[in-house]
Amino acid sequence: MKIALVGNQNSGKTTLFNTLTGTNQKVGNWPGVTIERKEGVIVGTEIEIVDLPGVYSLSPYSTEEEISRQFAMEEKPDLIINIIDATSLERSLYLTTQLLELDTDVIIALNMSDVLEKSGITVNIDCLSKRLNTTIVSISAKKNIGVDELIEIVKKGSYKKNKHDFIYDEEIENVISSIAANINVAHKRFAAVKIIEKDRDYRPLITEEITEKVSALEKMYEMDSEQLIADQRYRHIVRIKEECSTQVDKGETITDKLDRIFLHKYFGLPIFALIMAVVYFLSVGLIGGLTVDFVAALFDGAETIEIFGRETPFAIAGLGPLVAQGLENIGASPWAISLVVDGIIAGFGAVSSFLPQLVILFLCLALLETTGYMSRISFFLDRIFKKFGLSGKSLIPFIVGSGCSVPGIMASRTVENEEERKMTAILTPFVPCSAKLPIIALFAGYFFSQFAWLITLSLYFFAIIVILVSAMILKKFVYKNSFSSYLSELPNYHAPSAVYVFRDVSDKTWSFIKRAGTIIVLCSIAVWFLASFTWTFNYIDGEIYHIENSILAGIGNAFAWLFYPMLGGTWSWGATVSAVQGLIAKEQVVSSLEVIAGLEGSGEAIFESGIFGFFTGWSAYAFMVFNLFSAPCFAAIGAMRKELGSTKAMFKAIFFQTGIAWTLATIIGMIGWMVV
Amino acid sequence: MRERRRNRQRKGIRLQPGSEGHLSDLDRGQKAIVLDFHNDNAALRRRLLDMGITKGVVVEIKKIAPLGDPIDIRLRGYELCIRRKDMQSIDIKVIE
Repeated sequence: MKIALVGNQNSGKTTLFNTLTGTNQKVGNWPGVTIERKEGVIVGTEIEIVDLPGVYSLSPYSTEEEISRQFAMEEKPDLIINIIDATSLERSLYLTTQLLELDTDVIIALNMSDVLEKSGITVNIDCLSKRLNTTIVSISAKKNIGVDELIEIVKKGSYKKNKHDFIYDEEIENVISSIAANINVAHKRFAAVKIIEKDRDYRPLITEEITEKVSALEKMYEMDSEQLIADQRYRHIVRIKEECSTQVDKGETITDKLDRIFLHKYFGLPIFALIMAVVYFLSVGLIGGLTVDFVAALFDGAETIEIFGRETPFAIAGLGPLVAQGLENIGASPWAISLVVDGIIAGFGAVSSFLPQLVILFLCLALLETTGYMSRISFFLDRIFKKFGLSGKSLIPFIVGSGCSVPGIMASRTVENEEERKMTAILTPFVPCSAKLPIIALFAGYFFSQFAWLITLSLYFFAIIVILVSAMILKKFVYKNSFSSYLSELPNYHAPSAVYVFRDVSDKTWSFIKRAGTIIVLCSIAVWFLASFTWTFNYIDGEIYHIENSILAGIGNAFAWLFYPMLGGTWSWGATVSAVQGLIAKEQVVSSLEVIAGLEGSGEAIFESGIFGFFTGWSAYAFMVFNLFSAPCFAAIGAMRKELGSTKAMFKAIFFQTGIAWTLATIIGMIGWMVV
Repeated sequence: MRERRRNRQRKGIRLQPGSEGHLSDLDRGQKAIVLDFHNDNAALRRRLLDMGITKGVVVEIKKIAPLGDPIDIRLRGYELCIRRKDMQSIDIKVIE
């Protein structure tokens, strides 16, 4: 048995899906697009369930709607569970009326029954069930109420079969049945209504006779057929709502009160800036300051560690030295020890030390999202973004992108306008993602110590400026004729759901660890190899051969001229190859620096080693800017290719990004060069 | 620039109950009935319909973004954000 889970955005669909399936989930993509497709098996059963994207309608105008429609029509689920937000019954039922026109059974999960009372709304479920002629289960996805009952009903199949009630005026119903009788497609009633609406996908089925009948209706009701159908649906819904639910006006709601503050004319934006500052102060400043050195010590060993810039005694042998000792004891050769310690452990350790602050960042973002504040951000910044040819909705990809560019680029799908969407996909990688945080944390932490968080913040603002200016450039030269609009629901504020937040944070963290554990370790090994052997494959032992003789140095030297000005007039193959490795994964830049510095053999920290000792505040900032804004990692490039639709457009985008990054970094580096 | 001038003009005359105009002419807290809308963008039109903006629906201006645009309107028991520009294509009659 296969079930589709359908519902509006913010209806609690994802929470219900997680409750239903537990950890038994498979995340993939819908064919041809980058929208996430989640499948799972309902706990304690063998019933498959597919989570369809959040939609308000089955019109073919957004990709989400198209996917949902296609799934319902072509993959033929045995049952649709339609989740409805009980506090906005009227709008939610609009989708329900369309689902009920399909030849598939539909049951309704009436969500948020726990907050109904507070909002002054009552819903008579028996009445609603009778009027819609379908089974309704009252649930709270968040508090896991009623979900067992829902599963039970699905398992037993004890739900009402879809009977296709007549919901339109008689004249319209007559036309619907006459069309339905004469077409040979699946879901006849649904198709007939879409034909009347002159739906894009059903236009070939329109005959002259149908056109006549429809224009007669249009004349009679004095509106076009599309308006007519929507109007009739809503009339039907309003009748049901008036019969089956009551609403006491509670005056100003909590959401209204909070919006008085958060959407305040003068305080709204400063509060936003403050919230973002707190988010990054907590993650990068506070937690970063506390843990980076600590985690690094676990891997490398230490006598003392630095906590908030203060030397604190903390003697630990560290994983690397312990393993080295162990390997030496069993008589491993120097190069094998070096492979494990300088290649694998050093690479993994460099990335892991930034994990605690990433967790805090993911946590903050999940909180902003689930409380409803994220929607407000896109609401009040739309005015600014509109000026640069973007929509407020682009902000969500950007903010998600501060976690990881890949889901960020994928989130650009919520931007309806095609040109705005493509621009958003190109600009999202400019946002410092979590993998770039290690780079910032490393350089800012070393060169700007207690002001590291301020430098971090400055880079975020720098990123915003780069995004806006790039948007203007793209708008002026590439995406010239875009028509844009902004239509979006403003959800109520919710208390965050602990389960959702925990799940979101652990998913993101786990995928980061997996990346660090696979790609990055592999690359670290590759870098170690290239840095440990000469062109004639002699192992660099630090006596006869030195790291300057390595293959890696040769490759770096071929490109080092590009980085010469931004590094304040320093010829550095090490920095060059590290930056290029950002293509594989941005956090790789850090582990590459670490591996190269380690192999040099002085045993000093990265910026005290001979090879990277040249970095100054200026060149550090320039190097960060280059790594932040140049071509993103391969995973993000892949996501961009999908959104842009062609390899050519993808290459153009990469060239554009890297060009901007190089120019800015070079300017900063040159200023430093001249001044110092 | 033009937008700013229009906004200033708008502030001068508050639409009285019973009078007709565009949705964008209303002040915060005002309620109106939607009479019709004219829009040549098929996707936007469809979306407005799907979100419940049909003839006869009552809308209320609830919240205005700190920078003056977009606007948050209440209809059919929920809140919808919409740009001033798109509100200009919606004809209304003021009721409150």
